[in-house]
Amino acid sequence: MRLAYWMYEGTAHHGVARVMNSMRKTHAVFHAPQGDGYVNTIFTMLERTPGFPAMTTSVVSGTDLARGTLRLPETLRQVEATRHPELIVVVASCSTILLQENLEIAAHQSGLSCEVMVYDANPYRMQETAAAEGLLTELVKKYATPQPLTPMPSVNILGPSSLGFHARHDLISLRRILKTLGVAVNVVAPWGASVDDLRRLPAAWLTIAPYRELGRLAAEYLEAQFGTAALCEAPIGVQPTLRWLDAVIEQLNAVGARLAAPPSPLKLPPLTEFSLDGMSAPSNVPWFARTADMESFSGKKAFVFGDATHTVGITKFLADELAMPIAGAGTYLVKEAAWVRSQLQGYVSDADFLATDEFQQVADRIGQLRPELVCGTQMERHTGRRYDLNVMVISSPTHIENHLLAYRPFLGFDGADVIADEVATTCTLGMEKHLIDMFGDAGLELVESPVAPSVEPVLASNGNAVVSPVAAVADVVKPTNGHASEAQPSNGHAPEAQPSNGVASSAGAAASGQATPMPVVNPVWTADGEAMLKKIPFFVRGRARGNIEKYAREHGIAKITAEVLLAAKEHLGA
Amino acid sequence: MPPKAQFTREDGIYHSFCGLVSVGWLYQKIKDSFFLILGTHTCAHLLQNTMGVMIFARPRFAISLLEEADLSSAQPAIADQIAEITREHHPSVIFLLSSCTPEVMKVEFEGLAQSVSTPEVPVLFVPASGLDFTFSQSEDSVLQALIPFCPEAPPDDKRVVFLGSVNDAIADDFLFEASRLGIPVAGFLPANHFHELPPIGPGTIIAPLQPFLAKVANQLTNERGATVMSSLFPFGPDGCRAFWEDLAAHFDLKVDLSEREAASWARIKAHTDLLKGKKVFLSADTLLELPLARFIRAAGAEVLECSTPYINRRFHARELALLDGVRLVEQANFERQLRSIAEEQPDLVISNIITANPLIGHGVVAKWGTEFIFSPIHGWAGVSTLVSLFTRALRRHARLDPLGSDPVWMAGVMPGAPEIIPLTRG
Repeated sequence: MRLAYWMYEGTAHHGVARVMNSMRKTHAVFHAPQGDGYVNTIFTMLERTPGFPAMTTSVVSGTDLARGTLRLPETLRQVEATRHPELIVVVASCSTILLQENLEIAAHQSGLSCEVMVYDANPYRMQETAAAEGLLTELVKKYATPQPLTPMPSVNILGPSSLGFHARHDLISLRRILKTLGVAVNVVAPWGASVDDLRRLPAAWLTIAPYRELGRLAAEYLEAQFGTAALCEAPIGVQPTLRWLDAVIEQLNAVGARLAAPPSPLKLPPLTEFSLDGMSAPSNVPWFARTADMESFSGKKAFVFGDATHTVGITKFLADELAMPIAGAGTYLVKEAAWVRSQLQGYVSDADFLATDEFQQVADRIGQLRPELVCGTQMERHTGRRYDLNVMVISSPTHIENHLLAYRPFLGFDGADVIADEVATTCTLGMEKHLIDMFGDAGLELVESPVAPSVEPVLASNGNAVVSPVAAVADVVKPTNGHASEAQPSNGHAPEAQPSNGVASSAGAAASGQATPMPVVNPVWTADGEAMLKKIPFFVRGRARGNIEKYAREHGIAKITAEVLLAAKEHLGA
Repeated sequence: MPPKAQFTREDGIYHSFCGLVSVGWLYQKIKDSFFLILGTHTCAHLLQNTMGVMIFARPRFAISLLEEADLSSAQPAIADQIAEITREHHPSVIFLLSSCTPEVMKVEFEGLAQSVSTPEVPVLFVPASGLDFTFSQSEDSVLQALIPFCPEAPPDDKRVVFLGSVNDAIADDFLFEASRLGIPVAGFLPANHFHELPPIGPGTIIAPLQPFLAKVANQLTNERGATVMSSLFPFGPDGCRAFWEDLAAHFDLKVDLSEREAASWARIKAHTDLLKGKKVFLSADTLLELPLARFIRAAGAEVLECSTPYINRRFHARELALLDGVRLVEQANFERQLRSIAEEQPDLVISNIITANPLIGHGVVAKWGTEFIFSPIHGWAGVSTLVSLFTRALRRHARLDPLGSDPVWMAGVMPGAPEIIPLTRG
């Protein structure tokens, strides 16, 4: 047992719901207590669904358990009568699975004319992504039928799904690219697919499965069973998209060459044809990255944390295409850690790699590194707010703020532009920043609230949340998590300490420093120290405060005076 | 005797949350508390998604996470976690909430809580699992757990204790109103801090502010001999007048608030003019539905149906009496409700948060019932907020151009692309 505050992955039944809600004429039924139906809310609120999500809770109450009532057959009948699905997938919940009821028999007894499948998603052994991937794979195995290939080159796209990160936008981007190539889309699944569509999967020449989390196993199955070639790469960034295009063409031409009547081989059209107007650069990233303004990005360190696909794709993009140093990277998909690790060879060292699904550990790592850009999930925005760091969301789990209306893919050329824009607007600006650094506040000086330790949560709307020195120190020092609260300085327990060189500038520092415990010192700011700190531009002040306190701790300085601040600045090279 | 209201109970194929979501406001209300839920990944995922709490940086609640290896152990070991919470958060009280899985495992919660409880930081068991408790209902459980910590008031201490968590502004409003009427106040249950709980004894009058606290009210009568006032809940001009007049009567004060009520109605006339004759369908899950239906009916609307998770004949008696003739449903079947909505064409549906967007997608003007729980709608000062929650959706939808109801503007939003047959005509 452990104490958990936030979860990265959803539950197994949430994963099932994502697949069922993606497909046409399918429905999930949760055999679960009231409350487990909360997953409906995530769909109706984040995706703003105008229809009722394809999931129903067959409520199990304490009274039902006492009386031995099983409502499942009646619920199944109601779902069939009102929603007319072709397939219903039944899953137990974390509590009802302990009852060891035979849901197969109950489902059978309901006497439905549609197909009912009891999916064995043990919520103690699998979470959202494993349950979704497992179900999609099982459905593809169940329905895919041998058949001739389409006469002209065609692809399946496996992976886009309800509540997938920017999935709808990615799908638009992929469709645009394929249309430009002159390649037809045979089936997209689970997004918008019916059971019949799954039957037609083997007619495609190639399966594209861009996400490590969903669709890959089904693509591999189609390859093993039907010989359908599979391309399981994510075209994130301009260079990967170019390589991905070459691979699509090469693999399709190889299939075409084996046909009795091969169509003429595909060729890469002029790149400008991939742009929205057909006459411009398909992406502005290669030029943007070379502009003088981007010079100020070259030294900015980034920390990347998310699912497998996006952690790998974004880390490489930042390093290869924007030339940003990588302070560290990691994933909450612990089962994919080895793959992510191998993909990021040469980008992050072992010490700078983190695989954990515990929020506190990620928060601690970010607190140690204080990178200038955090690419993370919604959870890392909490951490960014606490340490006053720039955070952009690159992976699920998301917040309603990540579900914007405009076209914002992460895949393909269009995606590269979206990601680069996000980086540029999240980080502080270039030349303007130098001016502010030199001369102060550019008229933007905000009134900083008095430093007051607080036990209250910091609201999202409070964009200028101030971290008290006590809290900041406590957050960094405490080994378990950063939920510092009351005014008591957390004396008396061993710190998981800071990098010995004290500066968050060396990427490997934090991890290597972990092994060296330091005596606990909770420095306090003197009035002249505070006054001096106020002269540091407000948008870097939080980070400066953290770094200076770190310097003070490492040098055993209890009081941060103006003199100490200047010494720290000199030491840090700031 | 007022006529006995009739209600039916359906099979509860409906959408709602479990009792754990009460944590969303209770941890904020009781400022030195911590809420520890003994539960699974599901409970943690529920809390971070349903309450919009993902935006909070430092919650004072957490899950003691049951993983597979823990399922076989007779009694979960939470001592280390309690120590960690005490060290990190310095709470004055820790509430240990049950959830479905440990209930099924038959964890002995009372003993578990006692084993980690100390005089300095009591750990109190709160039943909250979705097997037995819905949404706001577990506030009832939390308040019951607090009773032993309310000082015993002597029999001659005749004062009122307001029952139910309200924010400071509302509390001030009630204190002000009580003092104006000459009603002595002992305090609020819950108070803002654990050590500020009000004294309760045989002379105490319990004035319920929330309609989901039947059990704690009953227990205060049984254990402390307190008198629970039976009145309307203080929502709307009609509810407030009855509430204060009845409360004054318990202190042998005869007050006539008819003018106050009339003035209050007059202030919201622009709203009630809009509501007059409007057909309203309440299908929410907060347990506030009965008083809301009573108020909206008094405001001139026609209530087609009022469904709510549970109805308590005694605790809700006065509200029920005023809802005579309204279709009242416990644990409604949601599919039946959709058919009723299609037949009866309500102008406004007060729904739960889960179904609001899909209802709107089906051409219905829907409003989240959840918003009533999170808004200051109590007392005279809350009247305007209360009524505008009803009228805001009506006004907004009337102002919007009709484009949004054409299915073309919803194309591609939902991947399964279900055929959406509007529930409304014309």
